[in-house]
Amino acid sequence: MNIVAFANQKGGVGKTTTAVTLADGLARLGYRTLLMDLDPQGHVAFSLGLEKSPGLYRLICLEEKLEKVVIQARPNLDVVCSDKHTEKVKRQITLSDFRESIILDALQSTRYDYVLMDMAPSLDVLHINGLVASDWVIIPTRLDAMAVDGVKEILLTMGEVAQRGYSFKGYAILPTFFDRTTRETLAQFQEIIRAFGSSVWPPVPQDTRVRESSAYGKTLEEYTSNSPAMVGFQDGQRLVGGYRQAMQKLLEMTYAK
Amino acid sequence: MPNKPLERRPILDPVVADLLAGMEQKQAESQLPRRVREKKIRERQKIRARRDQRVTYDLPPFLRQRVKELAEEHSVPASQLVTLALMRFFEAYDLDQIDLRELKQPSRSPRYDWNLIFPEKYFPNDEKKKPKK
Repeated sequence: MNIVAFANQKGGVGKTTTAVTLADGLARLGYRTLLMDLDPQGHVAFSLGLEKSPGLYRLICLEEKLEKVVIQARPNLDVVCSDKHTEKVKRQITLSDFRESIILDALQSTRYDYVLMDMAPSLDVLHINGLVASDWVIIPTRLDAMAVDGVKEILLTMGEVAQRGYSFKGYAILPTFFDRTTRETLAQFQEIIRAFGSSVWPPVPQDTRVRESSAYGKTLEEYTSNSPAMVGFQDGQRLVGGYRQAMQKLLEMTYAK
Repeated sequence: MPNKPLERRPILDPVVADLLAGMEQKQAESQLPRRVREKKIRERQKIRARRDQRVTYDLPPFLRQRVKELAEEHSVPASQLVTLALMRFFEAYDLDQIDLRELKQPSRSPRYDWNLIFPEKYFPNDEKKKPKK
């Protein structure tokens, strides 16, 4: 089982879209996939055309079994949804013993090939729980100074988590909303490549159809499978970036270890 | 004078490296005088026009060398030699004279299901003895 967290302390960088799109992609490839929403906004359910529900609350606070709280969103794709009750989960975790590893413990006996966790843009007990449970962290980021600062912050937090004995197998930085025509994009792209080198994945282009797809409750593959966000942008003869390439990178990263 | 300490360079994803190089080149060009910029644009258009004819594949070095030597011997472009070789391959393939199934071995790569394992007879003697990297 590979547990992958999608995190950036800056909001609006494409965490939920990335988590939903890659979870959908893994499920389509036949991997048994669980997508957990750790964000009280509950937008994973929204993106998949489901009603928000207190799945995470039932799992952690009511101690129901995972099989009871998951909702099958698509073939091979189960979801633990969130809603405003997730705020209560944080309070519950704060009062618990061994509070860092509650999610990790809840996932121990599951039989999924991949568990993907969409994290909230915050630094609270739930966030730490998600990082502790993860083998891999994918950090989506816009190429602006504040989002790139969020990348640094999450890496610092990961360092602290690793120091407590919960190590990671690796991480990747996924530039999102990529608009290659602006100087600021280039400056920030150079910055993250200088700092993180091979951990930077090919970017996902800015694409307004991403917003449309979530409005319809469809995944990108269902709504607009040939859009730039999925297939990348034309760079000379080839297509560069996009979620299909990110999918390949995810498989390569997790297979390699 | 003491030797400069070795610095480990980050190995970028090739797609990311190409993309960055292209963006940096475009930005550098935007600072050039108009006439130079126009020349660069014309050069780029010429390259773009040839793009449909260009492709990059990984080949064993001895094959690359063979193509180069034969092209020099006959004083013809290497691309045309490779074109001829591929035309002959597809002719043979269409006539069922080449069976790829005989060469297929399962691949562990997430991207491909199979690898083609070539018979040793295709390799020159010094290549056969090389350990697999």
